[in-house]
Amino acid sequence: MRTYQQTTAQTAHGWYIVDAAGQRLGTLAVRIARALSGKHKPTWTPHIDDGDHVVVVNAEKVELGGQKWKQKLYYRHSNYPGGLKVQTARELADKHPERVIEKAVRGMLPTNRMRDAQLRRLSVYAGAEHPHGAQNPAPLPGSN
Amino acid sequence: MARIKRGVHGLKHRRKVMKLVKGFRASRRRNYRVANEALLKSLAYAFRDRRARKRDFRSLWISRINAAVRREGISYSVFMHGLKKSGVSLNRKALADLAISDEKAFGMLLNLARQAAQK
Repeated sequence: MRTYQQTTAQTAHGWYIVDAAGQRLGTLAVRIARALSGKHKPTWTPHIDDGDHVVVVNAEKVELGGQKWKQKLYYRHSNYPGGLKVQTARELADKHPERVIEKAVRGMLPTNRMRDAQLRRLSVYAGAEHPHGAQNPAPLPGSN
Repeated sequence: MARIKRGVHGLKHRRKVMKLVKGFRASRRRNYRVANEALLKSLAYAFRDRRARKRDFRSLWISRINAAVRREGISYSVFMHGLKKSGVSLNRKALADLAISDEKAFGMLLNLARQAAQK
């Protein structure tokens, strides 16, 4: 008996939706990353990108534990001397509520050639509206 | 005793190496000095990875079993514990295959594991 190998032709990228309101950022990102990477499917094959699309709504209402809105820092560097920029989670969320979730999910996906493609299947919206009604997204499976 | 130099055997050895590196890229295929080192490495990796393959596949089966049981609300460890308790001795390769090819049989195993785990 040979172990089953999925081929790219057999992949099916389904659609999921999740409401971020009141959800802890990390716990939510784990669930999203699992769906994007396709590791929730019994046919999962490491080198085949069989991830699903995930729509996240109410990204602005996501929750962080403790004092993390003030204490969690995001670092960027412009590559010029002294070019380190630091933002707190609060500042980032006020400007771009979507990016808090996008960054968290990105960090949870393995660094490989499929990561960019998988991230393109993630759509995060600050409010409750989303333009993917036609895809009829199913509720995202729980962290269990 | 007659003195023996490397002419014939040296050439034979180099030809053997060049034959074995067919399919390598660029100078690793064409240039003996580079090819020889590439061949040593390749044989060493092949030896190591024949052993690593067994671990790689076991971890793949575990990932797949985990994916299949989590959608039914239990985790891999609970599932395997339940199977062991109820005396099912299928290996992970067979379980991963059943999860894909025979959902009915896998569903029955799930029930068994659930019942055994609850006790």
